[in-house]
Amino acid sequence: MRWLLGLAAFPLFAQSSLYVAMTVTKEYVVGAKLPPSGLFVKNARGEWQHEGFNHPFIFSLDYDVADPSVVYLAAGNGLIRASAQGWKILTGSDVTELRDVSVDRAGTIYFAHSHGIRMSRDRGATWVEIGATLHRKFTEAVRTDGQQVVEGGEEGIFRTLDNGRSWLLAGAAGFQITRIEQSPLDRCEWAATTQGGGIFLSHDCAKTFESTGRIGVGATLYDVAYDPRQAKRIAVAGWGPGVAVSDDGGKTWQSRNSGLPVPEVVSVIFDPDVRARMYASVRDDGLYVSNDAGLNWVKQGLDGSVINRMRFIR
Amino acid sequence: MRFAAVLLLGAALRAQSPTFEERKLTMIDAYARYQGKGDYGYAEIAAKLWRHEDPAWCSKKLEELLVQPSGDMFWMYPVTAIAYLDQGQLTDSARLALRKSWKTYMPYRGDTENHFLLYYSCLYLMSQMWPDADWYTGKSSAENMEEARQWIEGWVRLTTTRGQGEYDSPHYMGVYLLPMSYLAAWAKDPAMKKRAQMMLDLLIADYAPENLDGLFVGAHARVYETQLVEPANGVSVDFGWVWFGLGHRGAVPANYALYYLLASGYEPPEVLKLIATDRSQPYTHYERKRTRNRWRFYDDLHGPVYKTTYVRREYAVGSDQGGVLQPIQQHSWDVTWSVPNARGVQNTFFTLQPYSSTRELQTYFVFNPDGAVEGVVKSKKTYDSPDKLLGGSPFEKIVQDQDTVIALYDIAPETRFPQVNGFFSKDLEEVAEDASGWIFMRGGDSTYIACRPLQPYSWRPIEGGGRRLFSPYLKNGFVVQVAPRSEFAGLAAFKKAIVALPLEFRLEPTPSVKFRSLRGTTIEFTYGSTPRLNGTAVDYEHWPLFGGPFVESAVDSQKIVLRHGSLRRTLDFKNLTVTDSR
Repeated sequence: MRWLLGLAAFPLFAQSSLYVAMTVTKEYVVGAKLPPSGLFVKNARGEWQHEGFNHPFIFSLDYDVADPSVVYLAAGNGLIRASAQGWKILTGSDVTELRDVSVDRAGTIYFAHSHGIRMSRDRGATWVEIGATLHRKFTEAVRTDGQQVVEGGEEGIFRTLDNGRSWLLAGAAGFQITRIEQSPLDRCEWAATTQGGGIFLSHDCAKTFESTGRIGVGATLYDVAYDPRQAKRIAVAGWGPGVAVSDDGGKTWQSRNSGLPVPEVVSVIFDPDVRARMYASVRDDGLYVSNDAGLNWVKQGLDGSVINRMRFIR
Repeated sequence: MRFAAVLLLGAALRAQSPTFEERKLTMIDAYARYQGKGDYGYAEIAAKLWRHEDPAWCSKKLEELLVQPSGDMFWMYPVTAIAYLDQGQLTDSARLALRKSWKTYMPYRGDTENHFLLYYSCLYLMSQMWPDADWYTGKSSAENMEEARQWIEGWVRLTTTRGQGEYDSPHYMGVYLLPMSYLAAWAKDPAMKKRAQMMLDLLIADYAPENLDGLFVGAHARVYETQLVEPANGVSVDFGWVWFGLGHRGAVPANYALYYLLASGYEPPEVLKLIATDRSQPYTHYERKRTRNRWRFYDDLHGPVYKTTYVRREYAVGSDQGGVLQPIQQHSWDVTWSVPNARGVQNTFFTLQPYSSTRELQTYFVFNPDGAVEGVVKSKKTYDSPDKLLGGSPFEKIVQDQDTVIALYDIAPETRFPQVNGFFSKDLEEVAEDASGWIFMRGGDSTYIACRPLQPYSWRPIEGGGRRLFSPYLKNGFVVQVAPRSEFAGLAAFKKAIVALPLEFRLEPTPSVKFRSLRGTTIEFTYGSTPRLNGTAVDYEHWPLFGGPFVESAVDSQKIVLRHGSLRRTLDFKNLTVTDSR
């Protein structure tokens, strides 16, 4: 019941549901008792509902646009399909420590793991490794727009147009990448966050990414989000910077941490249904919401958790 | 009367030297007939079922425990044992609860070699037991078994070609033995069963030549600090006692040993008993292991670990080549001396560079950087402490020849703790700082140790006793020579012999030592360069998987030869055959 949090401000006409991959791992090590953790969804009453198994390490999620009831989870123990039929681990013993997942409009699934990137064209029945030609295999972030796959690992941002036969350096060389996102409003706008190098933006459909050099340099930025309702609004989340928002496509940034207990934020997202509403996860503290594009934040529950990834699913 | 006396004498001797079966029963009964407060939970259930005792209590207790399972793979192995030891003793209700739990609880697979081995061995056996069950994996029993089979076979292949990543752990050796014992006992597939039986021989052979009175000596992956400073705290002691009658077991053995015994309860063959106990002649044993998975910063997933262990009746000296070979819990070199009863005794000596870094953690884990070190400290309390005694360092290089060790340090000034530590146990005797620069000491009744720090140092107290040598110099090192007390008329004679040994060293631009050991070997060692022994470079390229008088195996051969005298056992993992000869 501790997860049934009243969210009176949440509009009943919302068209999308907020899914989060969260963990209460403050005192957890493998083998220890795990507080409720894993996949949570905010239901129509604004309450958090725990979906499926208790799980300590789900790092990312995406869904099949052809059937939004099917959610794919990038988890420490494999790629999991979560649906009304239950959960199924779609991968075997040959991959571990999955970090990210991205599903294109054709239903092709890509996931990043500790030693490469896998692709499935048959909704997870079979997998092909497409990261084998990368110099260093560890991959933290992967995104696809159906035309190309863009990945971020230990040595920067790379893209492939031939499903991994060759990878082209797209930017942030020498930086560890933490997240890659594509703008929902302008498909040629991309962003990537890094460990130490700040944010890198692409204005040419992910062919090249360039450092803005204006936010997060020397810290780790863990997440980046485009506002689906306002062009050129971008938010980043990081350890030190907390939340910062740009309203001019990344040219200038404003710190937006009022109401957050510490500027140690690991994920951020804009609500596609409510203008200027944002959510942010403060590490080991829980979820915060802002109704004014980050100017003010209030606690929204999931106490003690770290939310690795948030996703609105229609 | 005479006959009765012989009987009594025989009984007394047996009491002094219990057989393997008697030792096994003692360990099982520590759980099955536990008399203290509370109970041992799953372990007590399993032990009672093995004994075919108190099935009603076992059923009731099992159902209580299964209301809210937790523990991931550490839950899987007790309940797998219970399922196989049931043999009709549990109530239908308890058995149903057990089966249901494998559908409603998702044990996490973990992120280490032992986690995976426990996970897949148990998943294999449970899927074998229930071929038509529903599983938390969402897969069929056949799919679970195939996935598990692939991983287990891959692990055996990797271990028999390049060694373990979590190598020679005095603690976690139990969680490799346990699943192999399960598969040897309960797998129906003859190949799986045979492979597991052979792996038991191999895992025991991995310990037998590197034990001193049951203590697992030398360099380790995955050791805890309490086991490091007092080796008798290792789980290995329980296995040494039950297999070979060595050392002194704890009042209640580690449950890893219990579950090992409840499954196959495999008794080592004669050749392994002899390897484990024959210390009549000094010998040097070599092993090649591998690093854990290095996810970042390296081109190769696994790097080599080169181990050298010198063993004789009085003491053992062991080392790896230095560097960070595995995260957090690496132990790179030490001297361990023999004592009549090692319980409560810190019978070991070593030095290290205390190192902690986000880079180390990001190499071996998928951690994000912020909070990574703090996260580790939650369970490994000393990881980020300057006074710690555990862990490898990228600034440490080591060479060993028999009972001589040279450890050199070239420490980056920006590292978190720019210093070296030396562990000087509370149980060292006659510690004397000589004007020559050598520190002399005696370990137990049988071992002399000489240590030559290459830089000034001071002493810091260690909580609980003993002293820590502290030296804050970046270019640093130690030359260590060990010898049996019996070779000298006394400590004075040992000192005289050591001081007379030719020793040259310099610290700039990089530490470098030339030393002629007590055994007559000239060791030339410069930090970052291949060491030379009597003018010949140490041949790391041809380092064997196992080498020495007792265990031999070439890298990638998958053929391991165990031998003692005329006894020989050959484990051929390519063909899954065991050949004995004498």
